[in-house]
Amino acid sequence: MQKGINNLIEKFGASDLEVRRPGLSFITVENTKAVAAITHLKDIDGYTILSLITAVDWIEDGIMQLTYLLNNPEEIAEIGLRVMLERKEEAGESMETIHHLWPNAKKWQQELKEMFGIDFPTSPGLNDPFILEGWDAAPPYRRDFDTNKYAEETFFPRPGRETHDPAEHMKKNMYPNNPSDYTNKKYNPNR
Amino acid sequence: MDLKKLLTPFTAWGNITKDPVTIKDPFNERPGADRYRGFHKNDIDQCIGCGTCEVICENEAIDLVPVSDSKDGDSGLRPMIDYGRCCWCALCVDICTTNSLSLSNEYTWVSTDPEDFRFVPGVDKKDWDNNEKGWKKPDNYEFYSLKRVHMDELSPEERSDSFIEMMKGYSKEQAQQEADRCVQCGICTATCPAHMGIPEYIKAIRNDDLEEGLRILYDTNPLPEICGRICTHKCETVCSMGHKGDPISIRWLKRYIADQNPSEKYKEILEVENLQPKGKKVAIIGSGPSGLSAAHYLALMGYEVKIFEKLEAAGGMMRYGIPEYRLPYDQIDKDIDYILSLGVEIQYNVTIGKDITLDQLGKDYDAVFSGTGLHLGRSTGIPGSDNKHVYASPDLLRWIVEGKEFEVPESVVVIGGGNVAMDITRSMARLQMVKYGKVQVIATALETEENLPADLEEVVEGREEACIINAGWAPVEIEIKDGVPTGLHVVKCNSLFDSEGRFNPQTDPNVKEFWPGTMIIESIGQGMDLSYISEEFKTKLEFGPRGRVQTDEYFQTGVEWFFMGGDIIEGPDVIHGIANGHKAAVGIDIMLNPEKN
Repeated sequence: MQKGINNLIEKFGASDLEVRRPGLSFITVENTKAVAAITHLKDIDGYTILSLITAVDWIEDGIMQLTYLLNNPEEIAEIGLRVMLERKEEAGESMETIHHLWPNAKKWQQELKEMFGIDFPTSPGLNDPFILEGWDAAPPYRRDFDTNKYAEETFFPRPGRETHDPAEHMKKNMYPNNPSDYTNKKYNPNR
Repeated sequence: MDLKKLLTPFTAWGNITKDPVTIKDPFNERPGADRYRGFHKNDIDQCIGCGTCEVICENEAIDLVPVSDSKDGDSGLRPMIDYGRCCWCALCVDICTTNSLSLSNEYTWVSTDPEDFRFVPGVDKKDWDNNEKGWKKPDNYEFYSLKRVHMDELSPEERSDSFIEMMKGYSKEQAQQEADRCVQCGICTATCPAHMGIPEYIKAIRNDDLEEGLRILYDTNPLPEICGRICTHKCETVCSMGHKGDPISIRWLKRYIADQNPSEKYKEILEVENLQPKGKKVAIIGSGPSGLSAAHYLALMGYEVKIFEKLEAAGGMMRYGIPEYRLPYDQIDKDIDYILSLGVEIQYNVTIGKDITLDQLGKDYDAVFSGTGLHLGRSTGIPGSDNKHVYASPDLLRWIVEGKEFEVPESVVVIGGGNVAMDITRSMARLQMVKYGKVQVIATALETEENLPADLEEVVEGREEACIINAGWAPVEIEIKDGVPTGLHVVKCNSLFDSEGRFNPQTDPNVKEFWPGTMIIESIGQGMDLSYISEEFKTKLEFGPRGRVQTDEYFQTGVEWFFMGGDIIEGPDVIHGIANGHKAAVGIDIMLNPEKN
């Protein structure tokens, strides 16, 4: 495993190594060098399995993070290769595809496009629906997606639903004649 | 034809003797992972129905529905989950103020009725209610700080020989940080005797709109500088944040709003510059919290109000019973001066029943409200308690305010463990420090340490100031030598109440102590003085337990024009007085304007 890590640092300028436990390390590489680094890991260092590609929306830092989890079955080791993309206000961050290295990468990339709005030009079937059929709103895994607003606009309330505000409910049951209701109405009905 | 392609499908037969990697569903159970997020569980005895789960739910999957009666600290509501909307994110679990809500790891459940997928966890019994596995909020993070923001205070060394206010108040940053801990559930409002709009004024602090904050305070409480310092803050005892951490510093936040608004802007902020006179007059006996509160709300409603005060300054026990280091006089004056600015008049040094009779007030005014408070110190009645060097705490506290000179001895014993006892204990300690440079005051209480009636902070601060506070001792006799006390004999008190809950102290005479002191102060409660009401007038009133006059919901007595409130009816504390006075003002308006109500 150390050889793969050393190569990433020496050949591809990788940084921020985080050894999570023996056999699992995370390291960050620049996005322009990422595909070359992944290719090297696959073809030279034995990381032949693409376990997953995932993303994290660091909205406060203006960063969209991609993580490629690669597995070396001979060494029983995994490397999480992190790539930091500049986050865009309206989605559409772009990253090179790796479907030429692993054909199944197209499905991960298809999901990331749908859920995070990250673009992988030339990845086959990228814009096909993954699980969100007929979705016309912003990608829902972006942190600025307003789930509550979307739910209100999209779904109808179930018939018979009724809720109670705790303070109002307690007032009704415990002290219905609050004097401030009376005096406010008397001297300052506008409040 | 490629032979390899032809044969490849048959290679699968090679696995026929191997264990399958798939699961034989639906014939075998498929348990969720240990921390899987499945159907909700709720410990309904722990849940207080604060509704924080409902507020955070991004999918509006939660409704609060009534399942039991509302009571202090518990709305009686519980969350009902609509699984047609729930996305199992568990934000409701992570925000839960009592840790009552969790998710089981059960995720399969079949029913043909869609309505079954809307239920109240913990109330509607489910198979997974006792399932230990699932999602619970991890201990390593919180959505909100569990620690309240500390208020700076004078150190024990700085305050031990001074009556300067010890609590310094919050800065803007501190107040906003503390306000940010509030989840706005409003559980506190029901418990506050005045039902103050607590979540609303805390929100005003967050929004840095302190003028709106002041308006909210005055809706229910015309003494915010005072209550912001010395309120018994019952609200904080039920604060939902108190279940996992420190309750919100509601009292200090109230003080922050009042402190930040300058008195000269009050009338403009509170929009009271054009009050409409009603042409009717109300007399108020006593300028304590209930009288001032009644005066304030009556003035707002256009009544001509005159307060009759026995002493030479207004405020009642707030001025004459609470030491200046807890409640500075200029802050009392700020609240009272604003009420006077509404046209309320005070006549000082006038005693009802002596200078003017109650009947005369009834003739001269359309209504009378009396809030004369509890000023008489109660005595233990133990041998030696009739000695002239044995004092009642209300008298001494008043003398300190009036500047009356009295002998401050080197050793003092205070009998009592309540807040008033702590007030006189700490006041005497300060006077000793000034005179002798050292403190020797012993307060002795019947109650055990855990059950001391005084606020914990009073006990802690008193001890910081070198006062000795001994819990669990019963006074037996004050030893007198040459006409002067030498100290108090006490025996161990093991319990206060009998099996039926009646006050019946059980003592052990074999475990005894002697606390030395040449001044003994009794501080075991206060009584009312109703001597201003003539015997003939009393026949028109109904008296209940412990000699309290019976009043209706609006504090109206058996005499239509006579209302009573404050400590003589309910409490004793300032906030009950304020609430009583407000409600009595409403009652007076209803009584005087029956056609409009």
